[in-house]
Amino acid sequence: MSSILCAVNTCKLFYVLYDRSVSFINNLRGGEKDNCIHTSKYNILTFLPINLFEQFQRVANAYFLFLLILQLIPEISSLTWFTTMVPLVLVITMTAVKDATDDYFRHKSDNQVNNRLSEVLIDSKLQNEKWMNVKVGDIVKLENNQFVAADLLLLSSSEPHGLCYIETAELDGETNLKVRHALSVTSELGADISRLAKFDGTVVCEAPNNKLDKFTGVLSWKDSKHSLNNEKIILRGCILRNTSWCFGMVIFAGPDTKLMQNSGKTKFKRTSIDRLMNTLVLWIFGFLVCMGIILAIGNSIWENQVGDQFRTFLFWNEGEKNSVFSGFLTFWSYIIILNTVVPISLYVSMEVIRLGHSYFINWDRKMYYPEKATPAEARTTTLNEELGQIEYIFSDKTGTLTENIMTFKKCSINGKIYGEADDDMGQKTDMTKKNKPVDFAVNPQADRTCEFSDHRLMESIKLGDSKVYEFLRVLALCHTVMSEENSAGQLIYQVQSPDEGALVTAARNLGFIFKSRTSETITIEELGTLVTYQLLAFLDFNNIRKRMSVIVRNPEGQIKLYSKGADTILFEKLHPSNEDLLTLTTDHLSEFAGEGLRTLAIAYRDLDDKYFKEWHKMLEDANALIDERDERVAGLYEEIERDLMLLGATAVEDKLQEGVIETVTNLSLANIKIWVLTGDKQETAINIGYACNMLTDDMNDVFIISGNTAVEVREELRKAKENLFEQNRSFSNGHVVFEKQQLELDSVVEETITGDYALIINGHSLTVYDQWFITLFNIVYTSLPVLAMGIFDQDVDDQNSMDYPQLYEPGQLNLLFNKRKFFICMAHGIYTSLALFFIPYGAFYNVAGDDGQHVADYQSFAVTMATSLVIVVSVQIALDTSYWTVINHVFIWGSVATYFSILFTMHSNGIFGIFPNQFPFVGNARHSLAQKCIWLVILLTTVASVMPVVAFRFLKVDLCPALSDQIRRRQKAQKKAKPSRSRRPQTRRSSSRRSGYAFAHQEGYGELITSGKNMRAKNPPPTPGLEKTLYNSTSWIENLCKKTTDTVSSFSLDKTVKL
Amino acid sequence: MKKTSQICQSKLPDNTALKQQQLPAYRLQLSATGVLSGFFATGAFCLGVGIILILSAKSIKEIEIKYTKICANCAELREDAINFDKECTCSIPFYLSETMQGNVYLYYKLYGFYQNLYRYILSRSNSQLVGTDLKDVGNCAPFSKSHNGTPIAPCGAIANSIFNDTIILSYNLNSSIHMEVPMLRSGITWWTDKYVKFRNPSAINLSSAFTGTAKPPYWSKPVYELDLEDTENNGFLNDDFIVWMRTAAFPTFKKLYRRLNRVQYFIEGLPAGNYSFNITYNFPVTRFKGEKSVVLSTLTWSGGSSLFLGLAYTVTGAVTWLAAFSMMAIHLMLKEKRTLFIER
Repeated sequence: MSSILCAVNTCKLFYVLYDRSVSFINNLRGGEKDNCIHTSKYNILTFLPINLFEQFQRVANAYFLFLLILQLIPEISSLTWFTTMVPLVLVITMTAVKDATDDYFRHKSDNQVNNRLSEVLIDSKLQNEKWMNVKVGDIVKLENNQFVAADLLLLSSSEPHGLCYIETAELDGETNLKVRHALSVTSELGADISRLAKFDGTVVCEAPNNKLDKFTGVLSWKDSKHSLNNEKIILRGCILRNTSWCFGMVIFAGPDTKLMQNSGKTKFKRTSIDRLMNTLVLWIFGFLVCMGIILAIGNSIWENQVGDQFRTFLFWNEGEKNSVFSGFLTFWSYIIILNTVVPISLYVSMEVIRLGHSYFINWDRKMYYPEKATPAEARTTTLNEELGQIEYIFSDKTGTLTENIMTFKKCSINGKIYGEADDDMGQKTDMTKKNKPVDFAVNPQADRTCEFSDHRLMESIKLGDSKVYEFLRVLALCHTVMSEENSAGQLIYQVQSPDEGALVTAARNLGFIFKSRTSETITIEELGTLVTYQLLAFLDFNNIRKRMSVIVRNPEGQIKLYSKGADTILFEKLHPSNEDLLTLTTDHLSEFAGEGLRTLAIAYRDLDDKYFKEWHKMLEDANALIDERDERVAGLYEEIERDLMLLGATAVEDKLQEGVIETVTNLSLANIKIWVLTGDKQETAINIGYACNMLTDDMNDVFIISGNTAVEVREELRKAKENLFEQNRSFSNGHVVFEKQQLELDSVVEETITGDYALIINGHSLTVYDQWFITLFNIVYTSLPVLAMGIFDQDVDDQNSMDYPQLYEPGQLNLLFNKRKFFICMAHGIYTSLALFFIPYGAFYNVAGDDGQHVADYQSFAVTMATSLVIVVSVQIALDTSYWTVINHVFIWGSVATYFSILFTMHSNGIFGIFPNQFPFVGNARHSLAQKCIWLVILLTTVASVMPVVAFRFLKVDLCPALSDQIRRRQKAQKKAKPSRSRRPQTRRSSSRRSGYAFAHQEGYGELITSGKNMRAKNPPPTPGLEKTLYNSTSWIENLCKKTTDTVSSFSLDKTVKL
Repeated sequence: MKKTSQICQSKLPDNTALKQQQLPAYRLQLSATGVLSGFFATGAFCLGVGIILILSAKSIKEIEIKYTKICANCAELREDAINFDKECTCSIPFYLSETMQGNVYLYYKLYGFYQNLYRYILSRSNSQLVGTDLKDVGNCAPFSKSHNGTPIAPCGAIANSIFNDTIILSYNLNSSIHMEVPMLRSGITWWTDKYVKFRNPSAINLSSAFTGTAKPPYWSKPVYELDLEDTENNGFLNDDFIVWMRTAAFPTFKKLYRRLNRVQYFIEGLPAGNYSFNITYNFPVTRFKGEKSVVLSTLTWSGGSSLFLGLAYTVTGAVTWLAAFSMMAIHLMLKEKRTLFIER
C-alpha cells in the first residue's frame, strides 16, 4: 500500500511521502493516486446543472433571466414571457450543444490517452498496463521513442551512467534533446528485474506543482539519502530518445503530473473587441436605465396631469393611484420593453461569425502546407478577430525562423576566400551531408551535391598547402562531435551543436574525416591515411571564453593547440606576426557577416613539450582544488591560448525557413513589431535578425535583452522599454495568415456596428409594437444578413491585402471599431429611430385610408414602422456589404421576404382563429399594405434614413479616404487590365561591418569527452561499478545539466503547455 | 509515396468557391457619379411626389366642427355620471359654401382621448369578441366582471368607453324643408374586422346567446340591443362598435362614422347650402379635458392624407438636392486639387 503522508515543516513546504517498499511487498498497488486524467468537464448527469450554472454566470444570460423574472410580475410585465424566453432558450441551447460536443471530444481524447499501454513492473514481472492504471510508486519501463506516462524518477537506463535523452517538445516546444541521468546508486540496478522489484526506496519530495524545470526531493534507500533534482526526473509528455530503454518510478501520476498541473485551468481569453463590447454593453445598459428613469418621470408627470382625469375610462387599483408609484412600475416596464437595446444577441452573432471565420481559416488552401500536408487549424474561435490587431509577435528562433540546418558556406584560409562561386547553386541543394560518401575527396562527382565546392580549394588541397591542411585539421579535431557507425557501416556524427556538425562535415568532405575518438585519442583520416592524435587537453567552450581549443600530440610527436572561436576574442590572442593576415581575414569576416553568415576564427599554436608539461601539471593541480577551481582553470586556459597563429575563418549559414524574409518584411511594413525569444547567444540572435531583414542597418536602437531568469529579463525589458526593439518571425507560410486577418477584422467590426445600430433602432421603436415582432426581429429578420456580411465580406481582395501590408495598421490602432465609432453609430441609430417614428407619426396624424376608413390605428402604425424598419435595416446592410456574394443576396433578400411572409402569416385569419388572444393583428398587413399612403410613408422613411448615411460615407471617402478605399478604387481600375502578380523584390541587406560570430554551443561537453563518460563501451552490457571513477565524476554531469538548462529556461517558464 | 500523396490530398481543403472565399461577387462601390446622380434622382422624385401630394391634399374639401363648446349645456350635463339617463341633444347649423364633390365621409374626432394607453389597449378579449368564449375576460381588467361576478360582454376598457353620440346630418334645402342626408353605415369597418375578428356567439337568438353576461357599466343597453333592426349590425358585429374597437395610435384621432349615400340630391356629393348636425350628446369629454368634433371630408387618390406627407416629401427632396449640390461642389474642388497635385 503506498501511503502518502503530508507534513508541514518549518519552511511551510509540503512534502509528499511515497513509500515504495511497502507497496511491493504487500503486492497492493496504491489506490489513491492513479494516472487517470480528466480534461472533460461534465458527464451525462452533471452536464445540465453545471452547464446551466456556468451559462447563467455570463452577464448576458443572467440579464435575460432577470428580465424573465421581471416579466412574471403582472404589474410590471409589459411584454409576455415568450419575448424573452425564446431568445434565451435559443442561446442557451446553442451554447449547451456546443459545450456538449466539445466535451464529448475531450472525453474521447481522455479515453484514448488513458488507454495507452506502458510496461509496468507488477509481481516482479513486466506487464502491459493501461496508463490510467499506473499508480504512484510503480516502476515503469520505457522504450525508445515512447511517451512518458507519468512523472518518473529515473532509476536506470540502457546508456552508461544511467544517462537518458528526452525530447520535451510537448512540454515546452523545445525540440532539442535533453539529458537526464539516474543516481549512480539506482543506475546500478540496470535492467535487472528482480533487483528493481526489490527496490524499496522512499522519496520525500515537493507537493505537485506546475514548475517544469524545478524539482526537489530526497530518496532514502539502503540507509542513505540522495538528493533529487530536476535532472533525475522525466516528466509526463516527454518522449524518450536515443535510449533503448529506461526504468523509472512513478512520483506524480495523473492530475498531479507537471503537465496536467499546467493545463486544465484554461483561462477564457477575451479579445479586445470583447472587452470593448462589454464596456459598451454596460454603457448601453446605463443608457437604458437612464431612459427608463426619464420615461418613468415622464409617466409620473403625465399621470399627474392628464392620466388622473382619464381615470373614468380606466380605473386604477387602489395602490396604483399614486403617480409616483405608477412611475416606479413604469420604469420596470420600460426596462423590459427596451431590453433589446442591450445587444445581448450580439454576443451570439459574434460567436457564430467567429466560428465561420475559423472555418474559413481551416479551409484556406493558401494556408495549406503541402510538405507536411497540414492545413491551417484555428484551435480556438475566440481570438480570430484579434488576428487583425496584432502589434507584437513573439517568436521562437530555431525551427520557426530557421530550419536549424547549418551549412558550411565559405571560408577564408590564409587570406584567401573559398566557396564564393557556388552561392546560388548552393542554396538549392538540400542534401544532408551526413549521407555523403566518405571518400569525398577522391570522388569528384560528389562536388555537385556538396554545398561547398570551390575547386580552388580542392586544388590547394591537392597541392598540399600546409595552411589549408592545418585549417582542416582544426575543423576535424577541435570539436565535441561523437562518431558512430551505423548498421550499414556509414559514419554517423552525433552533434551537440549544429554549427560544429557543419564544420566537421565540411572537413570530412574535404578529405579530413573525423573517424572516432576515445577519451585520450582522436582518430581522423587525412586524405586517405588514418592518423591518430593524442588528446592531451580539452579547453572547453563557455560563454565568456567564446572559444574552444584542443591540445593534441600528432604522430610526429609535436604538440599543437588548435583553437576556434569568436573572431573578436581570438584576434586578441594572436601572435604579433599575424598582422597582415589579420587585416585580410577581418575584411573577409565582415563580408561573411554581411551576408548573414555565422563566423568563427580558426587558429593554432605549436607548443613545446616542456612548457606543456608544466602547464598540464598546473591544470591538474587546479582541477583538484575545491575553492576557486573554475577561476584557476580559466586562468590557465588564458595562459596557454596565446600567441596563436591565425589560419582563417569559417562561415556557416543558419538556414532560414522558406519565405521568412518576405514575411518579416511584410510584417514590418504592417507595423507589427517582432520579438524573438531565443536561448541562443546574443550574436546568433542578432545575426538571424539581420539575416531575415528584421534588423536593418538604419535602425538606431537595437536592443537585445538577455537574462537567465525571469527577473533579469524583466529588469532588462524595463531598461529597453522606451526604445525600439528588435526582431523577427514567421512560420513557413505565415504570411498568408496575414491577408485573412484584414478581411476578418473588417467584417467582424462592421457586423458589430450594424448589429448595434439595428438594435438601437429596434429599441426605440418597439414600444408600440407587436410582441411577436420583438421576439423575432433579432433572430430572423436581420441577424442572418448581418451574419452573412460578417462572414463573407471582404473589403479588399487577398492579392491586394498582401501587396499593401499597411492596410493592417488601422486594425492595430483600433480605428475600425472604437468608442468614437460606436458613438457615431449610436447617433446614427438615434437619428434613424427618430425618422422611423416621427415620419409615420406626422403622416398618420389626421389621415384616412383611400376608402375613407381609419388607418391611423396603432396596429397599422406598428406595421408601417416595422416594415420601414426592416427595409431601412436591409438597405443599410446592403450598403455596408461591399462584397456581394450569392449568400449575401440570399440572406438580404431572404430576410426581407421572410419578414413579409411571417408578417402575413401572423396576420392571417387561420392563426387568429386558433389563437385569437395571441395574434390580434388579423388582417392588418393585408389592409395596411394595400394603402398607397402607407407605402409613401415607408418610402420616405427609407430615403430619409439612408440618404444621410450615403452622403456621409461619400464625403468621407472623398475627403479623407482610408487606404482600403484607395486600394479598392485601384482594384477596380486594375480589373480591366490583366492583374499582374506583383512581388516585392527580395531585398538582401548590404553589408555593414559587424561581427557575425555565432555559435550554438553549450558548455560542459568538453568535460564529458575527456572523462570518456559518454563513450559507449564496445562490449555491452555496462556492468555497474566497473567503470573507473574519475575525480569528481558526478560534478561534470551536474555542471553539464545545469548549464544546458540555464540557457533555455529563461523563457520556457512562460510557455504554454500543449496537451 | 502514393499513399502519402493521397493523404496529402485528403487533408488539402476542398477547392470550392465557398471554402476559398472566391464566390463570384459584386463589389459595391460608391462612385462619385453614381452617388451624385442617385442623389439628384432621389431629390427629383421626392420633390415631385411632394408637390403632387400637397396639391392633392389641397384639393380635399374638409369641414370640421368642434361641438364640445357649442353644446356646452350637454357637456355640463355629462360631467356628472348621475345624469346618464337624461337625454341631451344639440343641433349645430353650418353653411357649406362649396359643393363637396364625390364621396363624402363623416367622421367623429376626439381630442385628448388616450386610446393608445398601454393598459387601455390590452383591456379587451379577442376570444370573447370572436364569439368562441364569452366567459374569457382574462385581460379585461378593470372591466372584466360586474359587481355580482358575471362576466361583462364585451369586456374591457375599450368596449366600455365606446363613443356613443348619435350624429345625424340634415340638409336645409330651404327654411321649411329639412331633410336628413342619406348616410350609409356599411363599409366603415375593415373587412377582416367585420368578418373575421368579430363574430357573435352562435345561437338562434342573440339575447339568449348573451345570457350569463353583463353589459359594460357605461353602456345604457346590452350589446345584443345595439341594433334591433339589423341582425348583421347587432351584437359584436355592430359597425360602430367594431370601428371603436380598432384603437387609435394617437390621443387625437378621427374615426369613420358614416359615408354619404349618393342618391337624389346627393348624387354629385354634398351640394352647397345650409346644413345642421343633430347630435345626441352622450359621450363625456370634459371629464378628461378633451374635445370632440364632427368632420365631413372628401378623399383623393392617396386617401384622406394631410399636408404633412407632402411637405415632408418636398423638404426631403429639397434637402437631398442641396446635399447633392454641395457634395458635387466638394467633389469637384477636391478633384481639381488632386489633378493640380499630380501635375506638380
